[in-house]
Amino acid sequence: MASRRVLTVARREYLARIRTKAFWITTVALPLFLAAMLVVPALLATQARSTLRVVAVDATGRLGAELAALSDVPPSDGPVEGEGAAIAAFSVTVEEPTGEPEAQRAALDRRILSGAVDAWIWIDEEAIESGRLPYHGESVSNFLTQGRLERELSRLVHDDRLRRAGLDPAEIGELTRGVALVTVRVSSEGSRAEGAEAGIFLSYGLFFLLYIVLLIYGQQVMTGVLEEKTNRIVEVIAATTTPTDLMAGKLAGVCGVALTQLAIWMGTVALLTAPGVLASVALVPPQISIPRVPAGVYVHFFAFFLLGFVLYATFYAAIGAAFNNVQEAQQFASLAAFVLVAPILFFWTVVNDPDSTLSVVMSLVPPFTPLLMLLRITIKTPPAWQIALGYAATALFAWLMIRIAGRIYRVGILMVGKKPTLPELWRWVRYG
Amino acid sequence: MTIAIEIRGVRKAYGDFVAVDDLSLVVPRGSVFGLLGPNGAGKTTTLRMLMDILAPDAGEVHIDGRPRGREDLARIGYLPEERGLYPKMTVTDQLVFLGELHGMTRRDAVERTGPWLERVDLADRAKRRVEELSKGMQQKVQLVGTVLHDPDILVLDEPFSGLDPINQGFFKELLAEYRRQGRTIVLSTHILEHAEKLCERICLVARGRVVLEGELAELKRRLGGNTYRLRAPGALEGLAEVPGVAEALVGDGSARLVLADDARPAEVLRRLAERFEVEEFRSDEPDLETLFVQAVGHG
Repeated sequence: MASRRVLTVARREYLARIRTKAFWITTVALPLFLAAMLVVPALLATQARSTLRVVAVDATGRLGAELAALSDVPPSDGPVEGEGAAIAAFSVTVEEPTGEPEAQRAALDRRILSGAVDAWIWIDEEAIESGRLPYHGESVSNFLTQGRLERELSRLVHDDRLRRAGLDPAEIGELTRGVALVTVRVSSEGSRAEGAEAGIFLSYGLFFLLYIVLLIYGQQVMTGVLEEKTNRIVEVIAATTTPTDLMAGKLAGVCGVALTQLAIWMGTVALLTAPGVLASVALVPPQISIPRVPAGVYVHFFAFFLLGFVLYATFYAAIGAAFNNVQEAQQFASLAAFVLVAPILFFWTVVNDPDSTLSVVMSLVPPFTPLLMLLRITIKTPPAWQIALGYAATALFAWLMIRIAGRIYRVGILMVGKKPTLPELWRWVRYG
Repeated sequence: MTIAIEIRGVRKAYGDFVAVDDLSLVVPRGSVFGLLGPNGAGKTTTLRMLMDILAPDAGEVHIDGRPRGREDLARIGYLPEERGLYPKMTVTDQLVFLGELHGMTRRDAVERTGPWLERVDLADRAKRRVEELSKGMQQKVQLVGTVLHDPDILVLDEPFSGLDPINQGFFKELLAEYRRQGRTIVLSTHILEHAEKLCERICLVARGRVVLEGELAELKRRLGGNTYRLRAPGALEGLAEVPGVAEALVGDGSARLVLADDARPAEVLRRLAERFEVEEFRSDEPDLETLFVQAVGHG
């Protein structure tokens, strides 16, 4: 009978939440937001871009044609992926030096102020020698575009220097070509080609997804408990249902809501990353590779979600029961949020060296394990004993949390009035 | 007399403060039992221990002659003083939820919700959310939630507090109906007139202890003593010489008589009628408030 009440409470909790608009809005909005992050830069890249009108004064007499040809070079990504979208195209007008540099420069500045051109550059032997080219513009903060101009002019000046030294730039270019790492992820599920960026994308995505659901649904448990307390529902329920059953039902219900949302999201991801699906929708340019999520990672993800949820949500439930309103509870709620956010500080440490002592130790500290062990699993499968130890430690910690939080919950849920102090909370734990 | 509820020597302390101390009481089946006392006397704590919401430090609770189990609690309709509903739930969902918590099947709960909502004129609000209802309507929903599972025991903590007059009327009618059907009702109140009208048995508590318990009429007889009020015209002299009268206190046109312990009131009246033009002769029972002040004062 007791378990039937748990189910009754869980069912109410689940339906009450899943019927809200907020649930469906976040369910739809979050993937849309993530997709937008992925697709919008790619779409922007194909959109018409602004043009930087540049007057190039060629005092060398050798580079005019090549400078003019810059107008025809399409912008491409520099060191940062996706930045191409923010870079302007060039419209280069080559002008001869008039022989009076001061006057000519002053006249060019005036043309900038009048809006006839956006910028001018001055190339002479001294500039080629020193490697320092004057650039005047009304705005000098468009650093992505300036960066591209710098790269193009470097190539131009570079080639010029080679030619004058009697060398063939094309041949030199061929001889000094760099190398690129072709990354292949080796795991027990088989090796396959996977871009480093794609791997990070997967790790990053799952890590933050887990972080967000733990945080959101933990806090939902807290506000739900507070709602029952402030609306004085709890005593009506307490007459038939023990606080333990009420708490179990509430956690199960909210957990069900989170699982539903995760299932919708993960299902969508699985569908979209199935071979050929995205390409056929033609939204995502082929150069953006989306990694397939291995089935094993899904299993770990949900296992760590469940353990993490029990661990954090019971804590949030106890806070909700101990205090009278959200303001009072905030102090302790921030504590949970702080512990939850701490793994983010170790994100890059773990990504760069998942087997370092620091990475291993931090991933075995129970409140951090769900996030950090999952991160390690997505990067490089850790030794089995470490995964097992991580699960065991988290399960043990979650069990302790249930014991402690359960006691605070049982005492606090019927308390109204004064905000409890820390020693009082400790007394509840001891005698609750 | 079969006993519906028996509380044996329960105690509850919060630190140094003893809320309830060695409290015992017996509620016969089919009676209306009033747990009375001033605010802070320990009434709510006692009822919470009865409902297993609080665990007593000592003592035990028996229902139907055996230690109380969780399923006994599901047969009780409990209306706490601190009561409320989920604001976002619809009226029907809310009632069905409460019914299920009391061990009803979903189907049963749904079936019984309809007629009850008809009875309290809320049938057209069944699909509305609780927060969209007026305060009075919410109170009705709460009351229906207390009785939907057809309990044979009602435990009501300050049932009339906060109720508007219409709902008070409805509730009193419901209690009368339950009483006729032989169900047991335990209610706590600090308003003694309510108890005086409703209760057959009472238990007075003050500072966590029982100061008086028993059948109301019997208590009044016992504690009020053999006091009668006599009204008759003319000079009321020689009253004390009438056989059976132990003491007479003569006022203006009336007198207060204390009868001898072995005197029969009817016999005394016959003798009084021989000598005086008796217009009124009635037992001068103390009201509950007098009893209460006496008991608490002596306690």
